[in-house]
Amino acid sequence: MISIAIPTGTLLEGSLRLLRRAGVVDLGPDEIGRKLLVEHEGIRVVLVKPADVPAYVDYGSADVGIAGKDQLWESSGSHYELVDLGFGECRLIVAVPEASPLAGPATWPPSLRVGTKYGRATEQYMARLGQRAEIVQLHGSVELAPLVGLVDAIVDLTQTGRTLRENSLRIVDEVGCSTARLIANQASLKTRTDAIQELVTRIRGALG
Amino acid sequence: MRDTQEALLAEMRRWGYRYVVTPTLERLDALALGLDADERRRLFKLMDADGSVLAVVGERTVPVARLVAGSLRAAPLPLRLCYAGPVLTNDPGRFTRRREAYQVGAELVGASGPVADAEVIALAVRCLDAAGLRHHQVDVGHSEFFLGLLDGLALPADLKPDVRAALAQRDFVALEALLAGTPLRSAEHELLLRFPALRGDAGILDAAGALVRNKRSERALEELARVHELLLAHGLGAAVSLDLGSIRNFDYYTGVIFEGYGPEIGRPLAQGGRYDGLLECFGRPAPATGFMIHLDLMGEVLRLSGATGGLTRLDVAVAWSPAGLEAALRLAGSLRMFGMRAVLDTEPRRLAAALEWRAALGAAHLLHVGGGPTVAWSAGSGSRVRRLPAEQVVARLAEPDG
Repeated sequence: MISIAIPTGTLLEGSLRLLRRAGVVDLGPDEIGRKLLVEHEGIRVVLVKPADVPAYVDYGSADVGIAGKDQLWESSGSHYELVDLGFGECRLIVAVPEASPLAGPATWPPSLRVGTKYGRATEQYMARLGQRAEIVQLHGSVELAPLVGLVDAIVDLTQTGRTLRENSLRIVDEVGCSTARLIANQASLKTRTDAIQELVTRIRGALG
Repeated sequence: MRDTQEALLAEMRRWGYRYVVTPTLERLDALALGLDADERRRLFKLMDADGSVLAVVGERTVPVARLVAGSLRAAPLPLRLCYAGPVLTNDPGRFTRRREAYQVGAELVGASGPVADAEVIALAVRCLDAAGLRHHQVDVGHSEFFLGLLDGLALPADLKPDVRAALAQRDFVALEALLAGTPLRSAEHELLLRFPALRGDAGILDAAGALVRNKRSERALEELARVHELLLAHGLGAAVSLDLGSIRNFDYYTGVIFEGYGPEIGRPLAQGGRYDGLLECFGRPAPATGFMIHLDLMGEVLRLSGATGGLTRLDVAVAWSPAGLEAALRLAGSLRMFGMRAVLDTEPRRLAAALEWRAALGAAHLLHVGGGPTVAWSAGSGSRVRRLPAEQVVARLAEPDG
């Protein structure tokens, strides 16, 4: 039995479509949404929060998982990242209020205060630039933080940029681009090589 | 867990590995030799009185190497040594793992070549057996195979560190993107992308051999083939697979490497390999190979498979009624002489109460000594009680399968 962890939220539909097209398992969002754990023809599908997928895979409770690259940036786990699944594309960007004098990295003050849900990715990005930064870890409504003066800038995910515009925020740099990835547990790859390779091949095939 | 440790060390001693005690604190610069930057960062550090930085050991191979080059300097090589002890690492990741872990390991210092490699792998497999693990598997690979692939790749020099980093992070999406930029699609290129899947029986060596075009990888494949033959001769056909795609610290390992996996656990239980460069750092150059077993993970696997409780095994609980105390003392003494773990009750009990006491203790047998010529004997969890003379009970229990 192979178990697959798939994320709730925006990647759920794409994940289920991919598993269906690859002929792995055919599940509707309602079916899995009601039960969280479905066993079907030798495949066990577990539905977990996007940020929890790496944990399920790293500890081996799921052999493979589908996770946004944005979640993998935040995880220090020991999984294998095998395939770029292409869907769920979004960008991790730096944004400031419209009225702010800040533009690209060259204009930033000696120490920048940044609010984000993506602490690790932000830290690595700032280190790459040699920019000193105070990172304020936030858990929601990140767009609000610069508007009330909590931070100079935010690092956040955006797909269309609409939420940013609605909150009068302007993008000044890109930290990275995220898509859904197929990850695998290191021991599962060794103890169930054939089954996992077959799954990977079918998923690659379904990507076209 | 202690039982598992004893079983592992006993197996190592049977193979002629001598137990050594190594320090828990070492100078940071010494410990750092065997570790990559990330592992160095995770060590717990403290300051010595003279201002030098000490660290709590995060693994015990380096302390063993220091011992071989230091106080065992006069001992002739090869040396076979084993050890057990706690290690501390600080894992700042998102999961709060335990800081302290327990490792049991063996090192064969001063011997190079496939016979030594195979011996250490065979010992690792036998240790997993001895610990009571029913299903396990050991994957054997070679660090030079990967380094050869990297040499053979038509890759700009400035990209090589990135390729190594992507592989160290097991990020094959990034690896694919890096290799897509190379001018030639070589066989090495293909092999790198298929890295996690280069696993199987001896056939994988031929398959890979047909593809590689560099001496370094070819030599690695030849060595692996020889080690695999020797492992078969050790009687370890089914337990061993070949894994050309195992990803480890390639700066440290210099030859055959291996990892042991158990069921129901997402991480390797045992890890080891050849590290011919380490001893030289301490002034006594010598080839070396060895492995260690993560005792905590092993305990977890055994617990999941229902093989063991939390405490060590007890063989016999000896209970007594007032008239039988002196006979009970003599009986417990004889049992211990035969190597059994015997607990003597501290207060008198009737037989029925003694059966409950045995169950609470978790001992395999109960003996109840009254004033009469026989003792009551109950084995296992059943309540059936036999009555035999004391000497006969001792003789029965002392039988190997008794």
